[in-house]
Amino acid sequence: MNRIGIAPLACWILLPLVIGLSLLLSLCLGAASLSPEQVFAALTGTGSEHGQRVVWDLRLPRALLAAVVGLHFALSGFILQALSRNPLADPGILGISAGASLAAVLLVVAGAMLPAGASLYLQGEQLLAWLPLGALAGGVLAAAGVYRLSGAGRLTPLRLILTGVVCAAVLNALMTGGLALWGQAHTETLVAWLAGSLHGREWHYIWVILPWTLLGLTGAALIVKPLGVLRLNDEQVLSLGVNLGRWRLLVLLVATLLAASAVAVAGPIGFVGLVVPHMARWLVPGALLHQLGISALLGALLVLVADLAGRTLVVPFELPVGVLCALIGVPAFLYLLKQQP
Amino acid sequence: MSLNAEQVQLGYDGSTIIENLSVEVPMQQVTALIGPNGCGKSTLLKGLAGLLRPTRGGIELNGRSLESWPRRELAFEVAMLPQKPVAPEGIRVRELVEYGRFPYQGLMRGASREDRAVVAWAMEQTGVAGYAEKPVQALSGGQQQRVWIAMAIAQQANILLLDEPTTFLDWGHQLEVLELLAKLNREQKLTVVMSLHDLNQAAQFADHVLVMQQGTLLAAGAPKEVIETEMLASVFNVDADVEIRADGKPYCLAKGSMNRCRAPEWMKDAV
Repeated sequence: MNRIGIAPLACWILLPLVIGLSLLLSLCLGAASLSPEQVFAALTGTGSEHGQRVVWDLRLPRALLAAVVGLHFALSGFILQALSRNPLADPGILGISAGASLAAVLLVVAGAMLPAGASLYLQGEQLLAWLPLGALAGGVLAAAGVYRLSGAGRLTPLRLILTGVVCAAVLNALMTGGLALWGQAHTETLVAWLAGSLHGREWHYIWVILPWTLLGLTGAALIVKPLGVLRLNDEQVLSLGVNLGRWRLLVLLVATLLAASAVAVAGPIGFVGLVVPHMARWLVPGALLHQLGISALLGALLVLVADLAGRTLVVPFELPVGVLCALIGVPAFLYLLKQQP
Repeated sequence: MSLNAEQVQLGYDGSTIIENLSVEVPMQQVTALIGPNGCGKSTLLKGLAGLLRPTRGGIELNGRSLESWPRRELAFEVAMLPQKPVAPEGIRVRELVEYGRFPYQGLMRGASREDRAVVAWAMEQTGVAGYAEKPVQALSGGQQQRVWIAMAIAQQANILLLDEPTTFLDWGHQLEVLELLAKLNREQKLTVVMSLHDLNQAAQFADHVLVMQQGTLLAAGAPKEVIETEMLASVFNVDADVEIRADGKPYCLAKGSMNRCRAPEWMKDAV
């Protein structure tokens, strides 16, 4: 009987509460702070016009997006670490982030070089609309290339990681080169995007990522059982009757879609995919399903809190969420390392 | 039931390890596979488990070529425990043993009543029920090996292949594992094929011994027919006495390696 232990149960109850609380805080705090009453009034449509605009159009979509993006990165990282049997794996390691970044830079550069028909302002608008889709395509293409180069059906986890690291380095070099050569007026926008940012993200971005969230969560639920077995020796996996090649591809696909869609809307936010799975495994030892779920919740919480801190710590400036995630995540990671025997 | 290889050639990516080998695995018996390092024991076991496709010849299970068996159906017949399995980080004993039920379960469906009963039985048989909720990595080498065997027998296959199940264990735990396998063979009619390095253990626990050398099968038969002085000299380069004991099993006592370093001629004068 798979009894739910105390630790997972506590996490399943506490984490959503903490996430809800952080969400509320995100709605209250900011350049102009609102009281919880004002926020509730705005949410129910009875508040002032200004409050309504701040809560509905700015803070709510941004906070929701932070949580969703965090969930994506953490789930993807957890799945990749289990698949590669490597605790250092994360969405960056498959070249997903680098591929998406390169695609974003190329898209912006190409946009800037198009014959000047539309005004610059219009061009910017169109670019922002196309950036997520381009980045998503770039991330998926990069992961597909890494999969192909590491031997497709015959890949080993080690070969996957090595190929991923090499490809990510090449893609990053190309991206930096593209930025240096043709970035020009857009360099600032692009650098902000590359640091991982949720600045100015409105509902449009939520609608862009939501289908992938639903697809990713369904996929994760479907692969969690084979994923557990895939952590064993290849020979054992095969003798348990698992079609190794097919399941590896499916698992990779789910992890790639989750990570690439998140990079597409928020830029390559590092460390979430690396650190959160470790926290989840530490919190709920044992059952993979619980670890996967807790990972998703923790990821959402981490990015939500990081973005809140980035918005409110150095007012009137704003720190990119990627920077805050590293600043919060890395000490936590080092602490966990120290806890290990 | 039958498992046999016919003039089989096995290898990896172009390099041939096993050439023209034919063997029949005796059902419901314990078979020990012996031979020096690199002679192809692991390769043969992988071939018999359907993990390695023969480049020539064929391996048949129940009269049907292994390649034509769907993976899942094959899992009901043959279980394999590789040489050094690594437990996923933080996994508990019960979860690992439950993986043995994977072929019986659907994607979404959890463990059935039968699955749980089999897992409990497997842990009972192997004596790991007492630490079902402990992380596998916290256990000793001997306990871990019994957990892996529990997972393999939870698969309820008729044939269990083990690649050097005793190699990383101390003497006492080696005997424990071998006694466990002998018991499973006796009580569950489990067919066991394992590679072993200790010839006396092979003689003591196996009904049937296969001797391999450089990718070929040199001899096959009951321990006392196969384990004898000349074989030990030619296969292992060991100068040994073999004594047949009261229970009819041979016992080897090594006198020395036959290719040990000898002092060069000029040194003899100096001594």
